[in-house]
Amino acid sequence: MGQLLLSVKNVTKTFGSLNAIEDLDINIESGSVIGLVGSNGAGKTTLLRLLCGLYRPSKGKIVFLDDGEEKNIDKFREAVGVLPESTGLYHRLTAWENIRYYSRLNGVSDSISWERTLRFSKALSFSDDLMRHTRGFSRGMRQKTAILRALAHGPEILLLDEPTAGLDVTSARLVRKLVLQLKEEGGTVIYSTHNLSEAEKVCDRILILHNGQLRFDGSPKNLLEETSTSSLEEGYVKLTLDDARTRDESEPEGWFSKTWRQLFTKSIEVLDIKEEE
Amino acid sequence: MQKSKKINSIFIICKKELVDYVRDWRTLLAVILVPLLMFPAIFFVLPIVMQSELDERQSMHLDVHLETNVEFSELSYLSLKFDENLLNVSYFELDVDNEVNSTSDVLSEIKNTNISSLLRLSYDSNTSIWTYSIIYDSTQQSSSESYLRLTKILSEWEDNLTSERLEEAGLEEEVILNPVQRNNIQQSDIATEAEQAGFVFSFIIPLFVSIWTATSGVQPSIDMTAGERERGTLESLLCSPTSRLELLLGKWLAVTCIVGVSIFLQLAGLIFAISFLMSGSFLQPPDLSYASILLFLVAVSIFGIMVVALEMAIAMRSRSVKEAGSILGPMMLFFFLPAIFAQFINLESIELFWFAIPAVNVLLAMRELLQNEIYLVHVLVWIFSSLIYAALATWYASRQFLREDLVESIN
Repeated sequence: MGQLLLSVKNVTKTFGSLNAIEDLDINIESGSVIGLVGSNGAGKTTLLRLLCGLYRPSKGKIVFLDDGEEKNIDKFREAVGVLPESTGLYHRLTAWENIRYYSRLNGVSDSISWERTLRFSKALSFSDDLMRHTRGFSRGMRQKTAILRALAHGPEILLLDEPTAGLDVTSARLVRKLVLQLKEEGGTVIYSTHNLSEAEKVCDRILILHNGQLRFDGSPKNLLEETSTSSLEEGYVKLTLDDARTRDESEPEGWFSKTWRQLFTKSIEVLDIKEEE
Repeated sequence: MQKSKKINSIFIICKKELVDYVRDWRTLLAVILVPLLMFPAIFFVLPIVMQSELDERQSMHLDVHLETNVEFSELSYLSLKFDENLLNVSYFELDVDNEVNSTSDVLSEIKNTNISSLLRLSYDSNTSIWTYSIIYDSTQQSSSESYLRLTKILSEWEDNLTSERLEEAGLEEEVILNPVQRNNIQQSDIATEAEQAGFVFSFIIPLFVSIWTATSGVQPSIDMTAGERERGTLESLLCSPTSRLELLLGKWLAVTCIVGVSIFLQLAGLIFAISFLMSGSFLQPPDLSYASILLFLVAVSIFGIMVVALEMAIAMRSRSVKEAGSILGPMMLFFFLPAIFAQFINLESIELFWFAIPAVNVLLAMRELLQNEIYLVHVLVWIFSSLIYAALATWYASRQFLREDLVESIN
């Protein structure tokens, strides 16, 4: 087990009457890849935003540590690389200019960030596109640029919000490979995903969030043991039997949400939805 | 060390925003080309176009219908003038008892542009008085031109007749028609040309500066706040170690630079147009002291700080670019109306409270300074009150940047 980097202590985050996160207690240690798994509205993005200081807890406390010493959020932000839900690139800048902008804001020199960008862009097969303007980039290229932007300043912790969403098979594989490479180098990654098979491939610890509550915290092996199931999907379903709160409790579950839930639990990615007359 | 890092972050944000902004061709058009060329175009091209139109009108041959109760031979003077003024006149006998009415054929002819106007000219031999009426259509260019030429000819003819009759009566024209005359001294206005220019500029420049400041800041303010939010770029930016205040200051600095460049180019274009393109010596640049120039720049800067901070706050408060545009558009009136209002306030013996009213105070200050007048009490009041308003606007903007829901991107 690595060094304790951050500690979430009894944290609740509310938006109006909704408890997006409820009484959450977790510790994040260095050198691990932690999968944050949950359905839409489970609280994954809220938790990631709490971790990088975009949201303030309504209750409880998040403690950031450096060599056992508590540090403030501004200092902690220098040690974090974030891939948000939306890639958020400036389309009139090149990929490298986008990356360099964030590195400069992190106080990292252009030469150091360029060296890191070049190294990781090779791993993502993206070196040739660094000097291109991001306007017209495919979803995959935008995602790769945003990942490189999160990595360029050399963060200790990487927060990735669904990094493979919308990527083709090859690109998603390259991203997973990169995450594993970072882990080998001693990096810490918090990896939000819908996809349990993906979490199984890269994560050595899984946090299952459901309706803002932590339903499971442990290794993929522990999940199988604890739920007495043979697959992570089955284990996940067993732990999240109650309906996701996105549905109105007073209404019976419709065919669409039922189908959607079944697709989700089987880790089947929906690429397109078309309405037929 | 920490302080220099914060300042560095502000400049990094400002630089990036400027690079991002100027790479849009619409920006080059809106911020550089249009401001730079607008006034030269208005002052140079407009007179040329107007002169060309005037020449075209004056070279037109126009058909006029003349109804008169006198013989043609008695109108030799008028006939000559009609020819000189390119009027093709057709003579008809005037039926004095028959008034022109709306059903008349002649009126239809004027409406259909077959003839340009109707001149009814009658002579009363008992009183020796000529009476005339010109019937024309003011909505038609050729008919209006015909009216102008006829009026001018008839006026000259009247002058000639008056002179002839005075001479016949043995009277001196100058004594009868011009008994009170102005003494012909060369200069009755003691204001210098530069002072006169300053007076004229004091009405034009504050009005333009307020309009330019308000309008040129809208688009970049929206783009750098609600636009970032809508495009989803704000979330990753907020994840960086940059504080939200640094973010606000960096963006504010960038918008202020854009507004400053825009105002400078528009002023340069206006002064160039007035000084070099206007025919003759229309206006000279005003003769201002260094103190007036410096205080004028301070006034524009403080006004800019306040306007940009307000625009950024409102744009940041909006949930989308569309919403920001629909709020900031009508809000321009809050800057335009004081600018127009300030033109009507008499600067002589002005009450001090005017220099404490937001927006109006800076505009009045600009007017005074362009007339090269510096009153210490006025200066202190407008600087102090404007700084308070600018600080309040900046505080309000910073409050908007600290909102937690900024993270939510619309898409």
